[in-house]
Amino acid sequence: MNHKIVRAIDRGLAGCHICGQVVELHDKTYALCPRCNSKVHYRKHGSIARAWALLISAFIMYIPANTEPMMHTSSLGRESSDTIMSGVLYFLSHGDWPIALVIFSASVLIPILKMIALAYILIMVQRGATTRKIENTRLYFIAEVMGKWSMVDVFVVALLAALIQLGALTNIQPGPAGMAFAAMVILTMFAARALDPKLIWSQAENYDGYKE
Amino acid sequence: MESKEQAGNLFVCHECDALQTIKGIEPGNVAACVCCGSTLFKNPVDGVEKPLALIVASMIFFIVANLYPIITLNIAGIERAATLTESALIFLKLGRPELAVTVWFCCVFLPGFIISGLLYVLLSIRYELGLPYTKPVLAWIIRLSPWEMVDVYYLGILVVLVKLVAMADVLLDTGFYAYSILIFVYAAAASLIEPHFLWECLSRQDSKPQ
Repeated sequence: MNHKIVRAIDRGLAGCHICGQVVELHDKTYALCPRCNSKVHYRKHGSIARAWALLISAFIMYIPANTEPMMHTSSLGRESSDTIMSGVLYFLSHGDWPIALVIFSASVLIPILKMIALAYILIMVQRGATTRKIENTRLYFIAEVMGKWSMVDVFVVALLAALIQLGALTNIQPGPAGMAFAAMVILTMFAARALDPKLIWSQAENYDGYKE
Repeated sequence: MESKEQAGNLFVCHECDALQTIKGIEPGNVAACVCCGSTLFKNPVDGVEKPLALIVASMIFFIVANLYPIITLNIAGIERAATLTESALIFLKLGRPELAVTVWFCCVFLPGFIISGLLYVLLSIRYELGLPYTKPVLAWIIRLSPWEMVDVYYLGILVVLVKLVAMADVLLDTGFYAYSILIFVYAAAASLIEPHFLWECLSRQDSKPQ
């Protein structure tokens, strides 16, 4: 089956990312889509370099996101700080293991798995791998879709902090991990968007945006 | 190269760049890429009728979910209630404006923009109104939709509920019920709305003589 496949780039064509319109590019680097007026490229520009930069930044943010406290609780003069993991352990000790599992996978597991998946795809693309293309495309798709669920803990802190402002009685303040966490999620989402899955299918050295 | 008619059936896969011609996809069926198997587009069964109805419903529940508090808390006789926007803006008060903007953008502004934008585009298509700027609106909806997080926020609400039930009197408010329905209605609308089909409709509207 595979020998019949023609890539759009080899015919001087490209699909619009926004509306799917097939646009004739030929030797232009980009064109405006006649239907929705967005820029159409053969491949995302500087895809690999941008994806690595964003991915590495995201990984740096992943560390404080997990080690710094997510929120500070002050209750009748008693202060306590909670990291993501201490929150997970709190739910576990109260027997709420489904919630512990949800928080652990959304906040700890999904981000690191997503970053490993993107790094793996990037390395495969840079090495010009010719195997497992369908698996890697699917992996990319899953990594892209799962990313936003990591934001759940930021929303939990938002709602808790909004509800628990009871003056001297109890107070919840967001900790420094909140910002690191949101930055990490946003950076991995940008990294996934920067990475062009089409590079999995056509050799990187020919088609990365910087070369023409 | 290709004539206009043939170009209409020409598709480029978003994932693998495979060029292919596709014709005659039955309503309710999915066109998959010949090379990598990713979905190219779906052919919707009932046009824009059902999506429009679901988006109108989403709009109503979205407004109610935003106006009324989600949870009311009672600790030692002191009542606290929080709406969606309040939970975002609390970060502003506590000195973390970047988090306030993130939460508000992903959970209030963007869902609002997407729902009202879709309502605008679908109304224009359904009643052949030829409203202005439908294409840029649809383009921006598609560009921004990965950042919309109503479903993630809902999971957050459920986590908060489990956490609070142990230590205080928790009252589920109007906002919570509206939000719960919104999740289902909006997911149903999203699964029925097919961007490819909407673009075709908008193109057809354009080519019609005024």
